[in-house]
Amino acid sequence: MASQAARGGVSLPEKRPPKRQQPDSDTILAKLTNSEIVSKGKRAACDTAYVTKRLLRSTGKAAWIAGTTFLILVVPLIIEMDRDQQLTELELQQQSLLGAPPVGAPQK
Amino acid sequence: MAGFPPPGATILGDAAAGKKIDEVGKKKVDYFNLPCPIPFEELQREAISIVPNLHMLSLKPELFEGMRFDFTKGLNPKFSLSHSVFMGPMELPSQGAETLKIPTAHYEFGANFIDPKLMLIGRVLTDGRLTARVKCDLTDDLSLKANAQLSNEPNMSHGMVNFDYKGKDYRTQLQLGDGSLFGASYIQSITPHLSMGGEVFWAGQHLKSGVGYAARYENDKMVATGQVASTGMVAMSYVQKVSEKVSLATDFMYNYLSRDVTASVGYDYILRQARLRGKLDSNGCASAFLEERLNMGLNFVLSAEIDHKKSDYKFGFGLTVG
Repeated sequence: MASQAARGGVSLPEKRPPKRQQPDSDTILAKLTNSEIVSKGKRAACDTAYVTKRLLRSTGKAAWIAGTTFLILVVPLIIEMDRDQQLTELELQQQSLLGAPPVGAPQK
Repeated sequence: MAGFPPPGATILGDAAAGKKIDEVGKKKVDYFNLPCPIPFEELQREAISIVPNLHMLSLKPELFEGMRFDFTKGLNPKFSLSHSVFMGPMELPSQGAETLKIPTAHYEFGANFIDPKLMLIGRVLTDGRLTARVKCDLTDDLSLKANAQLSNEPNMSHGMVNFDYKGKDYRTQLQLGDGSLFGASYIQSITPHLSMGGEVFWAGQHLKSGVGYAARYENDKMVATGQVASTGMVAMSYVQKVSEKVSLATDFMYNYLSRDVTASVGYDYILRQARLRGKLDSNGCASAFLEERLNMGLNFVLSAEIDHKKSDYKFGFGLTVG
């Protein structure tokens, strides 16, 4: 199944040349397998498989690009912001701890 | 260091160069008292953060690959020595899609003398290069900057001298380099928020010459600049200060001669213990640069750059002491 992808585009594989007629096209089974519907159905199934493969591959590629870019740009940011927030909380705690005693102490 | 572009690169007005100028002065509505504009050099080093009198580069951190260690020891309030080790791959320009990287390592010894009026910086590397930088304030308004690089390899030695004159609401710069490089630039404040300027350069060795114009509009919250040069470069940039800690910046560069377009978007988070800069490019490049303060005088640096188009990945880490 050769794919003639145009520049930047995707296209379905070329239509295959029609099969040559089987010699004994008299039996019902042979007639059935040679009929239009079956061959069209077979082609549709192959095309679907092909398109699904391509879609999966490009989704995978997009997921990789998005994932690594997210890892580089966003994860350090989240980590740093979290640390900054922890530091702020700590300072706030320290402030409230140190702020209370001077008020209560010299009451003797 | 900010303010010292490599010699030869500044005047040629390439996409990466074309810097001059900087500084935001105080604002007054009196047209005879307009603020002094930023030097022309710094206009193109876009994404200048809006903290007044403090300019920082959001979209162009010094990304590197490999390990870097810098140690600065101050012997005096004015004099200090610096030792620096770098180990990592160096890229060689190669024809073709493959980037050629060669692992190198070098040690750099340097001495700095820093005075309010005079600054002298010298560096010697184990790969045979010597660089020297001088910045001297001859008078209140006139200052001289010079830098030179000597190297073992032939044709890699060059030097450049700049004379900067700062007027009440304008700045001019004259630049002379070796290889008969000559450049001049002028920038003037037109209103308290808008300043415009132009530059002219002539490179004798490459027989190139060009003219460029730039405009910069700034506000409390944002800075927008535009620049056009006869080398075919058109550049625009915009920086917005979203909050005390965060700035966002975007940049657009277009070369109408070579039909090259690049757009990029970035952020700059300045937290108390760290500074994080991230950038996403239209060339499929994502990069980030983190500087974290581990302790007093101890800084940890991480740099990452992913180029999805060329599948080129560069990561670096380093430590800066002192």
